[in-house]
Amino acid sequence: MTSSPDETAPLLDIRGLHYRYAGASADALADLDLRVHEGELVAVVGANGSGKSTLARLLGGLEKPTAARLARACGHDLLADDGRIAARRDVGVLFQNPENQLVAQCVEDDVAFGLENLAWPPADIRRRVDEMLARFGLEELHLREPHMLSGGQKQRTALAGVIAVPRRVLVLDEPTAMLDPAGRDEVLAAVRELHGEGLAVVYVTQEMDEAVGADRVVALERGTEAYAGDADGLFADVALVRRLGLGLPAAGELALALAERGRGLRGLPLTMDALLEALGGAP
Amino acid sequence: MSRREAAASAAPRPSGLAGMSLACRDVSFSYEEARAPIPALRDVSFVLPAGGSLALMGASGSGKSTLLQVIRGLDAPESGAVVLDGAAPVDVGYAARQREVGLVFQAPELQLFASTARDDVAFGPRRLGWPEDRVSTAVEEALDVVGLPPAHFAERHPYTLSGGEQRRLALAGVLAMRPRLLLLDEPFVSLDPGTRRQLVGILERLKAAGVTLLLATHDADLAWALCEELLVLREGRAAAAGAWDFSAAGGRLLAANRLREPFFVELWRRLGRDPQRAPRTAAAAAEDLS
Repeated sequence: MTSSPDETAPLLDIRGLHYRYAGASADALADLDLRVHEGELVAVVGANGSGKSTLARLLGGLEKPTAARLARACGHDLLADDGRIAARRDVGVLFQNPENQLVAQCVEDDVAFGLENLAWPPADIRRRVDEMLARFGLEELHLREPHMLSGGQKQRTALAGVIAVPRRVLVLDEPTAMLDPAGRDEVLAAVRELHGEGLAVVYVTQEMDEAVGADRVVALERGTEAYAGDADGLFADVALVRRLGLGLPAAGELALALAERGRGLRGLPLTMDALLEALGGAP
Repeated sequence: MSRREAAASAAPRPSGLAGMSLACRDVSFSYEEARAPIPALRDVSFVLPAGGSLALMGASGSGKSTLLQVIRGLDAPESGAVVLDGAAPVDVGYAARQREVGLVFQAPELQLFASTARDDVAFGPRRLGWPEDRVSTAVEEALDVVGLPPAHFAERHPYTLSGGEQRRLALAGVLAMRPRLLLLDEPFVSLDPGTRRQLVGILERLKAAGVTLLLATHDADLAWALCEELLVLREGRAAAAGAWDFSAAGGRLLAANRLREPFFVELWRRLGRDPQRAPRTAAAAAEDLS
């Protein structure tokens, strides 16, 4: 079992974090605080270059913070080399481009890759891989070569490989950006299911409608936290949303355009269903 | 003021561009592999009039990027022909027309290489053998069009620009060659919403100036906002080409190709209105609903 001194402590506990790339003149992340508890889904949004991907890599123990008052992931100290290595086992990270994440000759070998590195007994690996193939709908593709998969299938294979190793936190960096709409729905459904089972999820995205369902939204601006709270609170502050280089979900943009024309809706709908209800309720 | 007018008044307009018409006639193409050629395009036919705009959609791996490269002339079709402004490859003047087709690759910022924005944008025009004063004018105009005013950006190192600025700089490198037909491969991927809005504005201005647009994207909302027509590729074949079709059959075709309806089309349908007449932007939708 992984070490966690206090079960109520946040799984990710980051305070005063700084990160600066070698040779850069400014911090990519500056004085950042972030706490994520078990079962939480936290969306991270922000303009290009605001530090989202850097944060994802740091949370996964893939980079060493330049400085921090505290940086712990699942109880492991991210400032220490052995802490980061231990964190990589508890925190799974999935990146944007499915092309770059598959390493093996076929789907099931790819799903097994992390477990083999941890030297699990072969019979246990077999059981776990079969479980993952079933859960991500990959059974029939188990011997398929990665380059013969669709984008959504590749990303589900990569996610199955990340999750095959039992994790406590999942960090996703724009996992749907390169997928067709159906592929995007497949990956989102898988993420929702994992979150429903209690996994803590940090979800980096440029899709505002994907941020709407999160328990909490953190917006970054040039490496610092510009907003942390629920999605409604962020999108209600339209000036902040624009300043951050973000937008509203389509339903919200329409509600704003209606308000500009003197037809304000009750509340700010952020989904198609909420918009339809608000339109039906308006005179 | 219409959406187009609003966009066109917001920034300098590209000048002197008249759109090129495009027709693909039974275009087929295969990738050479050790065991057997892998067919990527099969008998693709469609027509895009000068100044028109066409969204190229389809599941991952359906052949979208390949089609753009064949149209640009980076790959020669195995059979069939790409007809530019009515000229077939065997006709005199075809190569000159091909040079007026601009292709913006996926993540084009990865190909920035010069040490200043100006030199990066100038690379294409110089290779065309243009005199330096013409190159200079083209570079400054292209930087203006993409919202990177030369006074502030021309001497910057590309790597000191933000990701969104780099994407626009790469677009400027294509626009500087004055393309009359612009091909874009997933230009919105990984851009923040603010930068997407800027890019939509740039493409609106190019359309207003008459440039023919062919836009490969997974984003149904942006495709609907920008493009009059739709081409759906399925396993290298044209599953649909022409006007957007939101009938029951059209909806089934989108779903079968892993696509979805644009937001405003679904909204119109669910409001009991004619989805075929759905607005293309939030402003147009609000105008209609208020």
